[in-house]
Amino acid sequence: MTPTTTMTTPADDPHGLRVLAEARRPAPGLDGPPPPLPGFAASGFNPLVADTAERCLRAVHGEPPAPGRTALLLASASGDLDTARAIEQSTEPGRRTGPLLFFQSNPNAVLGHISARWGLTGPVVAICPAEAEPGRVPAEAYELAALLLADGDADRVLVVAVEQTPDGDRAAAVLLSAPPT
Amino acid sequence: MNGLATGSGPPGRTRPLPPAGVVRPVVTGVGVLSAAGYGLAALTEATTHGKAAFGPVTRFDVGARRTTRAALLPATAAPGGTLAPVAALAPVGSAPPDGPTPPDGTASARAVRSAEAALDAIDQACRQAGLTAAEGATLPVLLALHSDEHTRATADAVAAGVRAGWGAPGVTRVYTGACVAASTAVADAAALVAAGRHERALVAAVHLVGPGVFAVFDAGRALARDGELRPFSAGRTGTLLGDAAAAVLVEAAPAAERRAAPVLARLAGWGRAGDAHHVCRPEPDGTGAARAIEAALGRAGVDPAEVGYVNANGTGSTLADLAEARALRRVFGRHTGELPVSSSKSVHGHALEASALLELAVTIGALGTGLLPVNAGWLGPDPDVDLDLVLDGPRAARPRYALSLNSAFGGANTALLLAPG
Repeated sequence: MTPTTTMTTPADDPHGLRVLAEARRPAPGLDGPPPPLPGFAASGFNPLVADTAERCLRAVHGEPPAPGRTALLLASASGDLDTARAIEQSTEPGRRTGPLLFFQSNPNAVLGHISARWGLTGPVVAICPAEAEPGRVPAEAYELAALLLADGDADRVLVVAVEQTPDGDRAAAVLLSAPPT
Repeated sequence: MNGLATGSGPPGRTRPLPPAGVVRPVVTGVGVLSAAGYGLAALTEATTHGKAAFGPVTRFDVGARRTTRAALLPATAAPGGTLAPVAALAPVGSAPPDGPTPPDGTASARAVRSAEAALDAIDQACRQAGLTAAEGATLPVLLALHSDEHTRATADAVAAGVRAGWGAPGVTRVYTGACVAASTAVADAAALVAAGRHERALVAAVHLVGPGVFAVFDAGRALARDGELRPFSAGRTGTLLGDAAAAVLVEAAPAAERRAAPVLARLAGWGRAGDAHHVCRPEPDGTGAARAIEAALGRAGVDPAEVGYVNANGTGSTLADLAEARALRRVFGRHTGELPVSSSKSVHGHALEASALLELAVTIGALGTGLLPVNAGWLGPDPDVDLDLVLDGPRAARPRYALSLNSAFGGANTALLLAPG
């Protein structure tokens, strides 16, 4: 699916935010795995975060950089399970822990990739929502995005929601701003 | 509250004053378990005098690692200082997670231990604040945890504990953003209180050193080869991990006054900003950290010259310490030379997701005693750093404002600005 760019009225969003763009994966025409992400290994989580964020940002900004202060908010109830398991397994007797696992041992690393590429200078935040439906941005992430925007450290918030499930990995992203005053 | 952050700017620029009517957040309770022992007093005593708490790791096998030391909770880090292993820490006034403690080394055992430690810190903070069950009934709980297969189990156990112990609805949100997870949660708690959305919010965090994280930090060559954490020092070789559980109750000043709660410190400002630079390396000139500091100062309407102490992120990393020093110089300019700085990680280690809350507690302790903590592990000056580090012994001072700084992978930076209560 080509990411859609929707300019909604504030009333269209239950959290009072303006949705500047959204993107999902998988989607029609985007069923396969996302392209590999250099520097990341052992898990499809980080390439999926990066690709979904990229599509959402491109829908609004075209090419990097993005203007102003954009916050990055990663919401994942599952977390990067593949990396977590790879780390646990690497500590078993006779196994070796690869240095790349250090970089991706927490979810902030891939956010650093996105923020560096697009020049995003707002807050960098990661949460584990209590309730998450794979392929949808959880309500909790909208609430936190609204708080970040109202508190004044960001002009826009890119939310990326990613879940690793037995049925495959799913991601959704939205670029949000406060409604015009 | 839009528009309060000033963004980047030269030191001394005119900053907008906060608008009238904004509620001021204060801290009315602090709870801590750290390698220094049980409670804030033990942590304050150790950090004030630079008593480093590192020792050999015995919790799991580190025989294959380059570095074998960390700052782990002592057996005496239990209520009343009684000898008890971490697994036996029973949260006072809180129901322990369901069922017996699972066997050592299992994932569920780690989740239970983490939850027990977090609940103990929460109990300390809520008791100090004099929180009642009625006040707890609407209490948001923001919890910082490492992101792994145990995150949800730990959060669920903490939720059960705060429901049983304090009548809280549960855990409102779990932050997993590495070394700024807890400070981001504090900033959000302050924002919720300042905006009048809640009278108070509890922030808690826990990190217990485990074999997986230890292995990846070792593999990434992030750990100090010589087994000492030497922030900003010549010859520093990396960081060392540490255990911690910490909790703070953030409360609206009028609400605290109304119920005569102790005001341990005022949370005058907070800022969060990204480097936009790299997956794990800091921006070399510290521009992201500087923006976070300036956002905190701007939100408080405080001039850089009014800041009298910085509890630095200071991980002991060659690159990160240098970038932080440059960030300080960028914000504080000429004032940098007379601005006392220390990193208490040199004493309690790097507690990752819990580090920012632990260091906030250290800073509150320093404001209370009037003694600035020592930057331990010092071997000699790094000419590129050039900061007024607190060395040799605690420095007597009564700063009007103190900053607690943290940075993380992904170029995330936070600044929390405190004032004495």
